[in-house]
Amino acid sequence: MKKNLQNMEWLSAYLDDELSQSEKVEVEKLLATSLELQKKLEDLKKVKQLGNRVKRVPESPFFETRLMAAIEGQKNETSGIKRWIPAAALAVVTIIIMIVLKFNPGILDKMWEDQKVAIAGFYKENLQPVLLAANLTNEDVFNFAFNNELPLDNTRQQYLLLGYDDSGKEFFEIRSSHQRVERESYNEFISAMNLDVEQKQIVDSIIGSYSKALESQVLVNENNTIAINPNLWNLRKAIFADLLVASEKLNKVKFDRIVPAGITNAEKVIVVNTLEKLKNTSGDQYIFVTPDSIFSESYQFDFKLYEKEMRELEKQIQLNEEKVEQFTLNMRYDSTYKYLTAAHNEHSFRIVVDSNICRVDLPVPEVPEIPIPGMATINPLVEQATNNIHFYAYKIPKIEKSNTEIKIEYYNDDSVYSYVVDYNMLNMDSLAEAHSGVDLYNLDKFKPVKPFDDTMLIKYQFDRDYYHRYYSDDEFKKQMEELQKELQQMSEELNKQKIRVKSEVTKSPKK
Amino acid sequence: MISKEEEKDLQQPQILSIDDDYSIIRQFVDGDKSAFQILVKRHKEKVRNIIFITMNNSALVDDIAQDVFITVFRNLKHFRFESQFTTWLYRITVNRCKDYLRKMNVRKIFSPIEEGSEVSEYSSPVENNDISRIVMNAISKLPVKLRMPLILKDIEGFSYQEISESLKCEMGTVKSRIFRGREKLKEILQPLEKELMN
Repeated sequence: MKKNLQNMEWLSAYLDDELSQSEKVEVEKLLATSLELQKKLEDLKKVKQLGNRVKRVPESPFFETRLMAAIEGQKNETSGIKRWIPAAALAVVTIIIMIVLKFNPGILDKMWEDQKVAIAGFYKENLQPVLLAANLTNEDVFNFAFNNELPLDNTRQQYLLLGYDDSGKEFFEIRSSHQRVERESYNEFISAMNLDVEQKQIVDSIIGSYSKALESQVLVNENNTIAINPNLWNLRKAIFADLLVASEKLNKVKFDRIVPAGITNAEKVIVVNTLEKLKNTSGDQYIFVTPDSIFSESYQFDFKLYEKEMRELEKQIQLNEEKVEQFTLNMRYDSTYKYLTAAHNEHSFRIVVDSNICRVDLPVPEVPEIPIPGMATINPLVEQATNNIHFYAYKIPKIEKSNTEIKIEYYNDDSVYSYVVDYNMLNMDSLAEAHSGVDLYNLDKFKPVKPFDDTMLIKYQFDRDYYHRYYSDDEFKKQMEELQKELQQMSEELNKQKIRVKSEVTKSPKK
Repeated sequence: MISKEEEKDLQQPQILSIDDDYSIIRQFVDGDKSAFQILVKRHKEKVRNIIFITMNNSALVDDIAQDVFITVFRNLKHFRFESQFTTWLYRITVNRCKDYLRKMNVRKIFSPIEEGSEVSEYSSPVENNDISRIVMNAISKLPVKLRMPLILKDIEGFSYQEISESLKCEMGTVKSRIFRGREKLKEILQPLEKELMN
C-alpha cells in the first residue's frame, strides 16, 4: 500500500519533472508495465492542466500609488516607544486604581454616596411648602379628598393629581388647569347633605384640621425640585373617610340616600385605625422630582420653624409698610414770581412709597394772576436801565479798496487817544449776521477777529448824533436806489443764466 | 548540437532575476526609496495572483497584497541575501493569506447563518460555464496545506525547491502534498469530470 502511494507521488513528481534521473527511469519502467499507472498519469495530467485554465487576476493600475500612500501614512504614525505611551499610561492608571481600591475598598461607594448626598443636598435646598402659598380653601381640600386634586399655586394654574394604576399602585401627575373641570363640589355636598350653618361649621373644622397637615406635603424650591410626601395618599384617604363618618353623624337620612350601603362598623374601625396610623407616621420620606432625577430621600421639614419665619417676615413687611406710609418727602423750591404771596412761595409734595407703588401727591396748583404793568410804568425803568449802557456811533467813511484802515480817536479824561483799526478785521456784517438782533450801537460787544492787546479794551467814544445824521442823509436814499438797480440787474442776469442752462439740457445728445 | 544540459545552463533566467532583485534591494538599503517601487512593479502581479487564487476573492487581493509589500518595506533592510528575494516574498504572501483565511474562519463561526447563502456552485454546470471560476472554487475547498503547494506548482509554475522554501517544508512533503492536492481536486470536480477533463 505504502509502496503504491509512493509510486503515485512519484508519478505526480514525474509529471512535474521533479524526479532524479534514477527515479525517472524507475517510474518509466513501472509505467511501461502497468495500465493502471498509465491511466493515473493521464488523470493527473488532466488535473494539472486545469491550472492553465485558471484566469489571472486583472491588473490593478493604482496598486502602487495606493501602496506608497499607505507606506507614507504609516511612516507618519507614531512609531517605536511613542506608540506605547497611551497604553503605558493606561496601565499605570489602572495599577494606581487597583492599589487604591485594594487598600480602600469602600472608596468608590463612599465617593458615590458623597456625590449622591451633594446632589440631594443641592435639590433639597430651601424647600418651601407650595400648598401654603396656594392658600388652600375648603373647596380645595374637599376636592382633594373626593377628586384627588390639589392646586399647586394660588392662581390655580397647576394641579397635583393623585391616582392609582391598574395594579393599585399610587402615582401622581402635575397638570395644568385647562385639563381640569371646574367644580363646586364642597358646596354641592353641603346642599346635598342639607347641612345647616352649624353643621357646615363642623365639616369646615374637619377640613380645616387637615388643611394644615396638607401644607407641608408638597415642597418646591428655585432649583425646580418638587418634593412630595407619599403620606399625601394616606391623608387623602383620611380626609375622605373622616368626612364620610362625620356626614353620617350629621345627617344620617341624607347620607343613607347618597351612600345607600352606608358605613359598617368594621369600616369605621378601619377609618379610626387609618387616622391613628397617620398621626403616628413620621412622614419624613419625600419623593424628589428634579430636572435630572427622581429619588426618595428622608427630609425633615420644620413646619413650625417655617411658620415662625413667615410670621416674622409678615410682621417685618407690615412694619416696613407702616414706615413707608409715614415717610414724607418735603421738596422746596424757590419761586421767581415776584408777585406770588408768601403762602405760595413754599410747596410740599407728599410721596408714599409702598411695596408695590410710589405715589406722589401734588397740591392743586394755584396759578397767580400777575398784573401786567402799563407802558407808562415801564418807560422810567427802561430809561434807568439804558442809562448804564453806553451808546456809540461812528461814521464809517467811504472805504476805498486800497484803504482798509479806520482811524479812531477817543478821549479819556483830559487825554486824547487815537488808534488805527483794520476795517476788515472788524467784519461788521458777519458779526451782525451771526448775532441777529445784536445792538449795533453797543460796539463793546464786538470782538475783533484778531485779538487786541489790553489797550484796546478802552471804551470808544463815538459821536451819536453823527450816526443819526448819516442815516437820514439823502446819500442813503441814493445808495438804496443804486442797490435796487444792482439787484434788478442781478436778477435779470440770473434769469438769463437759467434759460441758458435749460437750453443746454434740451440740446444734450440722446443715447 | 547543444545538449539538453547545456541548454539548461544557458537559460539561467533565475540567476539573472536574483542578481536584479539583489541589486535593487541594495539600492533600497543604501537609501534609494524608489528602488522599492521597482521591486513592487516586478513582483506585484505574481503576489496578487497567488492571493487571488488562494483566497478565491478578488475584493481582498489588493488589501492583502498591500499588507505583504508593507511587511517587505519594513523588513527589507534586514534581508540577508541568503535566499532568493522571491522565496522570501512568496513566503510572506503565503503566510499573509493563511492569516486572512484564519480570520475569515473565525468570523464564520460568529456570523449568523444566512438562509440561501450556501449555493451549490456545481448544480447547474451548463449555466456556469466559467471553467476558471469552477476550478478556483474547487481549489478553495482544498485544505490550506494542500491548496498552497498546488497553486504554487500548477498555476504559478514554481519548482518543488521553491515551494519547499516558500512554505518552509521538506521537499518530500511538497511532493506528497501536490499529489494529494491533485487527487482531492479531482475528487471535488468529479461531478463535472466530463465537461472539464475532456
